[in-house]
Order: sequence, then structure tokens, then C-alpha cells
Amino acid sequence: MSNKLYEIISTVMKIDISTISDELGPKTIENWTSFNGYVLLNELETGFNVKFTIDEAMDVKNIADIKRHLTNKGISLDE
Amino acid sequence: MPEENSLSDYINKSNEITKVFNKKIRIALLSSFTINGLSEVLKVKSMERNISCVVYEAPYNQYSQEILNEKSDLYKFLPDITFLILDTRNIFGEIFRFPYSISHLERAKIVEKKVKEIKNLLNKYIENSNSKIVVTKLNIPSFSPNGIFESKTEYGFYNMIEDFNKQLTKNYLNSENIFIYDFDKFITKNGEDNVFNYTQFFFGDLKISIDFLPVLGQDLMKYVIGYLGITKKCIVLDLDNTLWGGIVGEDGFNGIKLGPEPPGNAFMEFQRVLLSLHQRGIILAINSKNNFEDAIKVIKEHPYMILKEEHFATMCINWNDKVSNMKEIVKEINIGSDSIVFIDDDPVNREFVKSIFPEILVVNLSDDPSSYVLEIENLIDFSVLKITNEDRNRGKMYLKQKKIIELEKTSTDLQTFLNQLDLKISIKDVNEFTLPRVSQLILKTNQFNLTTKRYQEIDIEKMIKDSNFIVTCVQVEDKFGDNGITGVFIIKKENEKEWRIDTFLMSCRIMGRDIEKGIMAHIINKAKENNIQKINADFIPTQKNKPVENFLSDHEFKKEGRSWTYKIKSKIKFPEYLRIEVE
Repeated sequence: MSNKLYEIISTVMKIDISTISDELGPKTIENWTSFNGYVLLNELETGFNVKFTIDEAMDVKNIADIKRHLTNKGISLDE
Repeated sequence: MPEENSLSDYINKSNEITKVFNKKIRIALLSSFTINGLSEVLKVKSMERNISCVVYEAPYNQYSQEILNEKSDLYKFLPDITFLILDTRNIFGEIFRFPYSISHLERAKIVEKKVKEIKNLLNKYIENSNSKIVVTKLNIPSFSPNGIFESKTEYGFYNMIEDFNKQLTKNYLNSENIFIYDFDKFITKNGEDNVFNYTQFFFGDLKISIDFLPVLGQDLMKYVIGYLGITKKCIVLDLDNTLWGGIVGEDGFNGIKLGPEPPGNAFMEFQRVLLSLHQRGIILAINSKNNFEDAIKVIKEHPYMILKEEHFATMCINWNDKVSNMKEIVKEINIGSDSIVFIDDDPVNREFVKSIFPEILVVNLSDDPSSYVLEIENLIDFSVLKITNEDRNRGKMYLKQKKIIELEKTSTDLQTFLNQLDLKISIKDVNEFTLPRVSQLILKTNQFNLTTKRYQEIDIEKMIKDSNFIVTCVQVEDKFGDNGITGVFIIKKENEKEWRIDTFLMSCRIMGRDIEKGIMAHIINKAKENNIQKINADFIPTQKNKPVENFLSDHEFKKEGRSWTYKIKSKIKFPEYLRIEVE
């Protein structure tokens, strides 16, 4: 799985990389406040050089959603 | 986009701040929209300058309530600086999108009303708080429904916002407590489409994009620097490949790049920026490895040199290493090394100076002279909340200083030197005209400062009005001219028999001329006239005030416990070389 994705999530949400899993989201990650959610999307946009639409941004409820949207944008996460 | 760390870096770093610094700042943030993250940026940027920063964030869009309610958490927080960050949409509401749904007369009325609302808030706030308040100008959006016809529209959309900004600014031109931050310039510099991101706006009501919050924080730090008086005062410059292109020792007088053609024009423009800073009070000095004759010929005779010999307080041009020269410069100009900015194209010299003087701001000059100008323009370290006459004349003062040093070198002993200087000191009560300068000295003086108590103007004003305090300043003149107000002392009347020296300081410019002996004689004699029996004083040591460590014992104060005391017997004589005038 993409190190870069996990590194960004880990930095923004201040959680250990090893604890990240697909189902984690605002309810399970303490630092995933609404504002930190924007910061995370912003960091992902910079990190992967992509742009999320407002629909995609609003659709993100957990890590799996992020992976799905990144994959849809042609980002390969299987490194 | 300017070089900046990401917002999440700031958020993470701010959680790791544990160190407490001597310098402290309390910042309140009020805004009409979400500015989450800005407090973290300010905390980290303060920490990087050895400042402990505490931030109060008022609830989102509650600025009016917070200001109008004197019992609000905002007042309880006791901020030093309050930022009120407004945005055009919020102030004008529906009119922001539909300015032409109403007549130009109605538009003007709305502006008048809005300015009045903000003015009332600001006035109310400074009446009830000691904080400085910085309010942002409104941004003028690039879009208008009238498009290119906008400039033909009477009191159109753009005019409305310009007028709002103008009225607000005009009102507080001379205010000590209300400052207007040119947010519109921030947008001009960084670009509306970068700072304002529609997705983030719709998604999270962010009116400053996440990437640009740190950039805004950097700009707002100017007020922190100005407030704390930690402004840089002096730029020390290299010559070859810094003030001109090429190496004069190798390329010769005619071979260096300096003139109207590229790349010489980049160096000329760089010199112009430096001169403009010099004209507002920044001291310039040279630290260069060169043959003195080669370099001075360029400075004196090159037709395209913008900076002349008279602009430099001191010129260390020799083959000594840059650190030895820097020590020489610090000694000669007599300022703290922490108020110096060093500019040199050679990374090795920069590292060397940085390793010995970590407190000096060493600019990481790029290899490209065409970016030198911007690198200086982007420094926030020259920020001041006030520019005094002393600032404007500082360049001339240092020129005078050079002449005094010459005189000192030719005098055989100190007494002869002091006699030749023809010193005159005027001692006067502080009034509204001298207050800004007195406050500046109290905030900035580090070396000859007995207690290093820092007072803002508002504190000093209170002391002036309080009959228990004597707040006095000292103006020094000598044969070379007027040094301006360069000394301050504050006496606290403890009781009918005792006074205490609360503050005693002198600008480093006039140190070494025994002027303090005259001032102390004045204090003792004035105390005697008021039937005072004892003068108490404290010496509060800091890293920088070594020049005054023996000041009290030299003036026959005796240590009693933690404090020092002088028992007044009779009036004492003024030093012979000083003429003293009491106003």
C-alpha cells in the first residue's frame, strides 16, 4: 500500500502508520476534526498533484473513500 | 507561492512547543470567518523567534459580541495584540453580489454605516482594553458585474470598498492603539485565485486557503516584531557579488557589473532598496574581504554606485575574516548583534558568521542577483509600529559617531576627549511629543538599562499622569550636533522620604561619555530639594546589560538585601565637562 498516502494521513492525523486501516474515519480518529479533514484533503492534493471536487470532498467518510477517489484519478496506490 | 511550510507542519509543531521564553506575546484572533490553523502558525513562528505566544480565538463570527460585552473572554484574556480579520462578503452581505441592485447614493450610505459600525467597535475596544488592535482592510475582489464598465460607474462596487478602506485608515492615522493591516496588499502580492479557494470556501467557509494561512501568519508576525521591539536595526553587507557583480580585485574598477545594463541593473536596484531602508533609519555597514583601496574607489567614484560612503556607519574592508570584522562592527556601531542582518553571497561566510553569532539574521541570498531585491523586500524583521524622527536621522547620527571616534583616537586621555566634545544635556519631563521616542527607548534599550522594564506607551502615559512617578527624558548635544532623546529615567516616589529608580537607561549611541554621572547628579540633587533621604534602586541583570553592572556601586549606592540604597547627605557637583539644562 502507498507509503505516501499513509505518511500524509499519519502526519495530519497524528496516528501511527501501522494503525491505519481502511475503515478509520472522523469517528475513530481523534484528530479527524472537520477542519483537519480539510487540511488532509489539501495535503493529499499537494502530495499527489490532484484536485478533489466538492462532491468527492464531501463523500470522504473514511480512509477507503480517500483511496477510491485517488484511484479514480489514476493514482496507483499499490507500491 | 512564497517558500512556506504546510499548515499541518505548523499544527504538529505547535503541539510540541514546550520551551518557555522570556519574550512573551498574547494574541487574540477575531474574525468574520474560519481561521482555524492561524493560531498554530503564529505560535510556531513566535517560537522560532524565541517568543512564547499564547493565542485566544474568539468563536467564529462573534467579534462584535466579544467586543461589546466587557465581560467576554476576550477581555479576560488580556491580549497584547488583537487581530480583527474582516472580509468583504461578510461586511457587505447581499450587496457583495448585488451592488447594482441599489443606487450609488444607497451604496454610499451603506459604506458610511459599515465604517461607523467598525469604528464604534474599535473605539469601544480600546477604551476597555490595553491591547493594540489590528484591523484588516477589506479586499477588493477582481470580479464586478459591471466588468470593464466598472471604472465608468459612479461610486461603483470597487469604489465602495476603496472608500470603506480609506475612511477607516484616515481615522486612525495617528492612533497609538489601532492599526490597519493592508489585507488587500496581501492579496495583491499572493493572488486572489491562490488565497481564495472556492472549493474550500463552499466546503468549510475558509476564506483564506489552507496553503496561504501560513503566509498570512508570516505577514501578521510583523506586528509581533514591532510590538516587542525586536526589530533589526542594521544591515551588514558584503561588497563583491553583493553590492555589485564580479570581484573588484580581479575584474577591476571598470570590469565590475554595476550600471543600467543587465545584470548591473539588478545590483543598482538592490542598492536602491537598501538606501530606502537607510532613509527610514536602518543602519548600513560593510564587512568585506578586499583591498581597501580597490573597494573604496568604487564606493567613492563609481558613477552607478547608489550607496555612498556617507550611508555606511562603518566600513570593515580588509583581509580579516568575516567574524572578526563582525565583532569590530558590533563594537563600533555599539548595537546588540541580535539586531543585525548579514547579507553575503558566499555561503561559507554566511555559515561561519551564523556559527559564531546565531542571533544574527543571516539572509540565504540566492545565486541569482535578480532575486536580491525580493529577498530584502520579503524580510519582515524591520517592522516597527512607529517611525520616529530619531529613526529618520539615524544615518546622520552614525556619521557623527564616526567623527567622534576620530576625535577620541586623537585625544590623549578621556578627560580631554570629554572636554573637547562640548557636551550638553537637557533634562525634561516627558510630554506627548517625546512620548513615542521614550517608549521606543524603553522597549528597545538592552545594554545601558538598569532594570530592563518594558513599558508600552499606554503604561508610560499612566505614569506621567500619576503624581507618584517622575518620568523624564534626556536629550544630548555635542559639538557635532544633536543626538536627540537618548536617555530616560523613571522615579517612583515610594514615600515622603524615599524614592526608587524604576528605570534608568541610555541609548548605546551616547555610552562612554560619562553622561550618566550628570543624570545621576541631577536625580540626587532633585531628591535633596524634595527633602528625600534615600534613593533606592535595583539592578536586574540580563544577558545584555553588563555595561551597568557596576553603575550603582560606582555612584556610591550600597547594597541592602536585594536592593541598592543611596543615603543623601548633600547636593553633589555636576561633572565639569557637562552643561546641564533642566526644562
